[in-house]
Order: sequence, then structure tokens, then C-alpha cells
Amino acid sequence: MLHESPELAVNLSDVRKRYGRTIHALRGVSICVRRGEIFGLLGPNGAGKSTLVKIMMTIVRPESALGEVLGRAVGDPDALARIGYLPEHHRFPTYLTGRQIVEFSGAMSRVDRPTRKRRASELLDRVGMGAWKDRPLGSYSKGMRQRTGLAAALVNDPQLVVLDEPTDGVDPVGRREIRDLLVGFRDEGRTVLLNSHLLSEIETVCSRVAIMVQGRMVAQGTIDELTASSRRYEIIVEGPPPPWGSDHASVQAIPAGHLLAAGVAQASTRLIFLGLDAQGAQPILDRLRAESRTVVAVQTVRESLEDLFMRAVTDPDTGLIYRPGAAT
Amino acid sequence: MMQTIAIFVAAYRELSARRLFWLALGITLVVVGLFACLGLNETGISFLGWTFDSPFYNTTTTSPETFYKQLFVSLGVEWWLGLIATLLALVTTCGIVPDLVAPGSVDLLLAKPITRSRLFLTKYASGLLFAALQVLVFTTASFIVIGIRGGAWEISLFAAVPIVTFFYSLLFSICALIGVVTRSSVASLILTLLAWAVIFTINFAEMIVSRGRLANEMEGRSIVASLASTEDPPDDETREELEADLARVREHEPNWNTAHGWLFGIKTCLPKTTDTLALLDRWLIDPAMLPQRGEDSTRGAEGAFGSRRVRGGEFERAVRDERRAHSLWWIVGTSLLLEGCILALATLIFARRDY
Repeated sequence: MLHESPELAVNLSDVRKRYGRTIHALRGVSICVRRGEIFGLLGPNGAGKSTLVKIMMTIVRPESALGEVLGRAVGDPDALARIGYLPEHHRFPTYLTGRQIVEFSGAMSRVDRPTRKRRASELLDRVGMGAWKDRPLGSYSKGMRQRTGLAAALVNDPQLVVLDEPTDGVDPVGRREIRDLLVGFRDEGRTVLLNSHLLSEIETVCSRVAIMVQGRMVAQGTIDELTASSRRYEIIVEGPPPPWGSDHASVQAIPAGHLLAAGVAQASTRLIFLGLDAQGAQPILDRLRAESRTVVAVQTVRESLEDLFMRAVTDPDTGLIYRPGAAT
Repeated sequence: MMQTIAIFVAAYRELSARRLFWLALGITLVVVGLFACLGLNETGISFLGWTFDSPFYNTTTTSPETFYKQLFVSLGVEWWLGLIATLLALVTTCGIVPDLVAPGSVDLLLAKPITRSRLFLTKYASGLLFAALQVLVFTTASFIVIGIRGGAWEISLFAAVPIVTFFYSLLFSICALIGVVTRSSVASLILTLLAWAVIFTINFAEMIVSRGRLANEMEGRSIVASLASTEDPPDDETREELEADLARVREHEPNWNTAHGWLFGIKTCLPKTTDTLALLDRWLIDPAMLPQRGEDSTRGAEGAFGSRRVRGGEFERAVRDERRAHSLWWIVGTSLLLEGCILALATLIFARRDY
């Protein structure tokens, strides 16, 4: 049973989509995006991310989609008027200028003429296209088109901004600028749903993520929540492992010379304690010191987003990566 | 309304960004310029100082007003707007629907608060903008030429704008349907031209068969009148010949009627492109004001059908009267019905598809 939530910008469940009789693009996906957060949607090619986004934007018609977007049913015109959307391979008319594109987008979102004219100028300045706003899109680089697209997505002052690969084809400097813009959107109170292949980008700006594989949502939450089970304590000591080490931890030998950067030349040992917190580490450290062992490093380690992603897309039974594409 | 205006403004910007749009408008003005260079004098038609003698078109047989109006309808509308300008318009606008449904383009529009059917139909209507603008420019320029050269400021000339735009809309609906199915501009253009050729062929065949049927019918009436004449009764030899001819005419009559019935039935189901343009002739030209060509001649009317007893002028008038007898409902109503069906199908395909 779903309830309208003022805290959720997107609250969808049992989203299903099938292409033809055999291709199940989405198999009962649920997604919750909180208001005011940047939410990252991850998954390999063919996982169903774009289909999910397109269903939210009414570009693809679902078999079923329960729940709400901005408190309204999927496809509700009033909700669509409050969403800004930039598709992955967008194709704005090349004969229009940046200003005309943003103004056209505003008119299609029912923004009145004076407002859209004012906002077009403001937004193009904001995305760094102020000097180019009266030149035709045909003369723009890929990065400039992305920025113009972002301005067009914001012209209706949206509560929810849905961006599909916004940094695709953009150089590192441009990516950084776009990331800063996304953070700016969030700081203004907007919700951002970001669909991207770039894990580092997602990790940097997203407060919560979801991972999709073969039309299913396999993980959803903050990166901390999703990596909690993999959090571990690592203690590195000089010399061989203590005799009791393997009773409490997994032990890895570090050959001589591998810790030169830490000023350690001799062979050392890495003791890995799963599920240990700082409190629990203290007796172990006390024991090591009591045995006059030199502690080289103590660190909390958790999975990176990339590790998490790879774990999610790997079949635990076979150890093989799930094959790309929608499930059949 | 705001969205509709935005789509129309974008369509105008799209058209004005195409060189072909300005080329077509330029050629249109050149055509009207040539039109203005034509004149009428006592002996015939003048053109840039030269005079081409004509027994039918001179100031003694035709008024300059009728001459220019007929030029406007016969050459300007039927040939220029109805053929060449329509071809240019189709080439220019055939990409509108395929561009609309192209990946990356359709996403931007479908994500807006506008229903799919409204989006598609507004885009379709914006495609008619090119034809409407072209006809408006041509008609306005012709209005000025006819006013200055013909001495008649004929406001009803502007009926050409809705009529030609409607004519174009019949073809563009086919283009839109093919565009939404194939997503290809080239396929849209080629298949629309093919459909136009089929429609034209059926129209032409119906016109030929209709003329044959009419000639046969008029010949029969003429023979019956000759046989019944009390003023100039035929002698026995002529009577025999007339009765043989009448038997031949009666024998052919069911064949003509069947062939025409079939072709007329098929034509009723198709867009009536030729008849649509001919509406202008009906509304602008008073047949009584036209020069009476070949009134006493039997040449021409019977040429294709072997009639010896039907006068050319009388036959042409009968053909014209029959054509004008087609009701507006039959011409516009049935065409609109088909156009509506084609557009409904195209809209349904557009609205139900995933992009």
C-alpha cells in the first residue's frame, strides 16, 4: 500500500515493462527518491535505468507503475510541468540559438513569456553560456550543448531534475562544472535524479544511490548503508603475524619493501577484522603493544562504490558478471 | 495555447532556416512577376513587348479581369501551386514528422505537459504552415497584379489560401502517416509522391472515362433529336445510318456507365486533389465571361471518342457543368473524412509507441 509522502519526490513500485514477448526491461522495480537529495541511478548497459527514467517522463509506456512522482501519478501534466529533464542523446534543433532553445522548453512547460525570457538569460549565464546565447546551436561544442540542455531543463524552475548521462562527452573541466551545478541545484532545494555510468561522479555528488541489474533493483540506499556489511578494520604491524592473529582476523603477509612509503622496509603483516568498530579495536591494539609489536597503520576500510557495483553485477553463484542487456 | 504557439514559432524558425523555403518563395515571386508581364491587346496576348496573336484571347473576346483571373486559376493555382510549389513544399516538410519522432528529439517533447495526440496534430498543422505561407505570398502578389493590370481588386482570390492549403494537407497527411511509421524523410517523400501519382492516375482515368461517357450520351441525344426532327426529317438512307449509330451508342452506354461507376466509386474514397483545386475555378470564373471556343466545331469533343454530332463548345460546357455539379460535400467532405482517418491512424501510432 503506497501513501503520498511529502518527503519523497519519487515513490514508485512494481514498475514493469516488457518489450515484445520476451524482453523484460523492468521486472517490478521500486524506487524512492527523497526531496532535496541527489540520487544516483547505476547499472550496466541494458539494466533498465533509461527505461525507468523514460517511464517517469512518459516517453515509454509501462505495463504497470504504482506510486507517484511529485505526489502525482506518473504522466500527470501538473507533475511534468514541475520536472526538468535532459535526455541522454538529446537532439535540440541546430538552427535555434541557446536562448531560443531555453525559451521553447519553457513555453512547452507552460512558463509564461516574461518569466521564460528572464529565466533563459539568467540560466544561460549560470551555466556559462551567456556569451553564446544568441548563436545557433550548430556552432556549439558537445559540452556547450550539455550546458544549454541543463539550462533548458531548469527553465520551469523544477522541483525534480532528471538527468540522463549529463556529462556524457564532456571534458574533465566541464564535468567538474556540471557537478558543481548539480550540487547547486540540490542546495536550492531541488531533487536531482542522476543516471550515469560514471561511478566517481555518482560517488562524489550523490547522497543515495540505486543499482539496477537486468531489470531489477538490487541495491538502494546511502553509500554508507550499502557498504556497511563490507566495513572492516585493518591493522598493519611490522614482522610476522602474531600467533593468535588467525583466530580473530584474516591475515595477509606484506613482503619486504612494500611499505617503503610508510618508512617500513621489512616484511609486515596486515590483520583484517571484519565488522569491528573503533571500540572493539582497542583491546587488539593493547595486546599488540603488550607484545612490543610496531603498529604501522590502523585504518577503517570499506568498499568503494566501484567494488559495490561490481559485487552487485556479479552472479554470487558463478562469480561471473551478469551478461549485459535486459533479462529475457 | 502557449504550447501551440511555441510549436508554430519553432516550425517557422525551422522553415526559415532552410534554403529551400526562401528559394521556393523567391521562385513564387518570379512566377508572379512573369504573370504580371503578360498582357492582353486587340490581337492577342502580349509578353514583354511581343504579341502572340490569338483569336480566343484578345480584348474583343475577353476582359483583362477574366483573362488574369483565368491565368491565376489555370496556371498559377493548378500548375504552379498545385504541382511545382506542392512538390517543393513536400520536399521541405517531409522531414517534420520523422524529425519529431527521432530519438533525442521526441524525448524532449514527450516529457513536457502536453498530450501526445495534441503534440502530433500541432506538429502536423505546423507542417501546413509552409504551404499556407507560399500560397499567401503568391495570392497577395497575384491580387496586386490583377488589381493593377486587370483593374479588378478581387478579394475572393484569397480563397486560394484555404483551398490550396487543404489540397496540400491531403498529401501531407499521407506524408505524416508514412513518416511516423518509417521514421524516414526519404521514405515519406517517395511514398507520398507515389500515393499522389496513384490518386492523380485514378482522377485522370475518371476524367477521361467521364468525358467518354458524356460524349456517348450527348451523341445519343443528338441522334434521337435528328431522328425525331420534323423540321429537317432525315431521308431513308440517313435514318438507317442514324439508327445504326444509335444502336452502337446504346451498346456502348452500359460499358461507359460501368467503367465510370467503378472509377467514380474509387475516386470517392480517395482525396480529391484535382477537384479541390478546381473549386477555385468554380468560385472565381464566370463561364459566361470566358471566350466561347469552337462553338460551331465538332472537332475536339469527339476526337477521342469518335463522336461526330457533338459540338466542341457545347461538350466542353457540359463537361464543365458536370464537374461543377459535384457537391462541396463530395469534394471536401469525403476528402476530409479520409484525411481524418489517415491522421487518426498516424496519431494512434504516435501515441501508442515507446520511444
